[in-house]
Amino acid sequence: MQFGDLVAVDDVSLTVDRGEVVAIIGPSGAGKSSFLRCLNLLETPTRGRIRVGDFTLQIDAGQPAPKAREVHRLRSHFGMVFQGFNLFPHLTALENISLAQRRVLGRPQDESDSRSRELLERVGLAEKALSYPGHCSGGQQQRIAIARALALEPAVMLFDEPTSALDPEIGLEVLQVMRELADEGVTMVVVTHELAFARDVSDRIVVMVSGAILEEGPPAQLLRHPQHARTRKFLSAVLDR
Amino acid sequence: MMEYLGYIAIGAGATVGLTAAAFVIGIALAVPVEWVRRTAPPFVRGLVNAAIDVIRAVPNLVWLFLVFFGMPQFGIVLGPWPTAIIVLGMYSTACIAEILRGGIAAIGQGQWEAANALGLRQFDRARFVVAPQVLRVTIPVLATFAISLLKESALASTIGVLEITYRAGYATQRTGDGLTMFLVAGVIYLLLSLPLAFASRRVDGRLRARFSLG
Repeated sequence: MQFGDLVAVDDVSLTVDRGEVVAIIGPSGAGKSSFLRCLNLLETPTRGRIRVGDFTLQIDAGQPAPKAREVHRLRSHFGMVFQGFNLFPHLTALENISLAQRRVLGRPQDESDSRSRELLERVGLAEKALSYPGHCSGGQQQRIAIARALALEPAVMLFDEPTSALDPEIGLEVLQVMRELADEGVTMVVVTHELAFARDVSDRIVVMVSGAILEEGPPAQLLRHPQHARTRKFLSAVLDR
Repeated sequence: MMEYLGYIAIGAGATVGLTAAAFVIGIALAVPVEWVRRTAPPFVRGLVNAAIDVIRAVPNLVWLFLVFFGMPQFGIVLGPWPTAIIVLGMYSTACIAEILRGGIAAIGQGQWEAANALGLRQFDRARFVVAPQVLRVTIPVLATFAISLLKESALASTIGVLEITYRAGYATQRTGDGLTMFLVAGVIYLLLSLPLAFASRRVDGRLRARFSLG
């Protein structure tokens, strides 16, 4: 994909198995987030193919943008968690989680609300159901945002630097929730700078540099024996901090 | 003397009625206008922008005279009230559309992305995510506009709408006491706009306490 003349992500191909947790790491500007945002078409790639389950969306250079209906179908397979939470500030935690259940899945209100309460409980925030995001800490907001994304029962959860806007201690409570999701078998693609999380939770680490995948592999192997000098440089920069 | 005070005060009904009518028209039309402006192809968008600019650039007094004295030359004769409502209604539409544009621009990119990622359709996104937040940020601006519209309605006196200013002028001709009559008119305008300002601050404060925008 491109921003003007700048090619942000070039010829990246990634296959994720059901239940797999993939961590994407790499220096800033490597195109990690752009790649993630191409998956649910928050950015439109110049060309490429996205396949989830038995749904495929093909985008070719010079072809008209995919139809709204196709885009909605694609997005229904992905749940997304943003660096900045992006909760709806005028809605309570419960309403944040219920809105798309009602409007996208067509669930009746009582059903969606009880589902939302279950999810709030799952992220440890049952008591925050009626609070507005502005009255929640950053860590709480991010957990609500995770519940909101889970509510649509997506096939894959996308995390775009979910802890980068949080101080390290608060970030832990978000990572804890993500660990639990991984344990429950949720398929996850996580763009992150949290190497400990990538090491302990992910099944595979993907290193992106300059808009391309430099190398990938199981965490133990990749972190201990990186193949490329660029990966070593990046890892030592993060670890020696 | 006292009888003229009552005579002027009765004009408050026409002033409020004209202002309210123009404001309601403005809200009712500005929402679809802004929708068109955001979704239509560039050519249509350009036309809408041009119309808004023209409406706002020409003084309302000139618009009133154009419609009231000019349209009859095309065989379209409108009375003072329809003329005033049409002109101020168009003016409100243009101004409120601009206010909405500013309000929409104030909503963070992340809100749109979150709505899109959740798969909300365009209309649902507008209705459940964007509109409530736009309302929240634009309430003080809309109230300020309503107050300025209240004052703008005095222009309708020039084409014979019997509102406050017209009546104060008439009373002045009859009594020669322009100071008293226009002081009364001024005080009535003040009394009409104070509740608006008060209500706006109250609603704004209440919403602000409940949530802050992301």
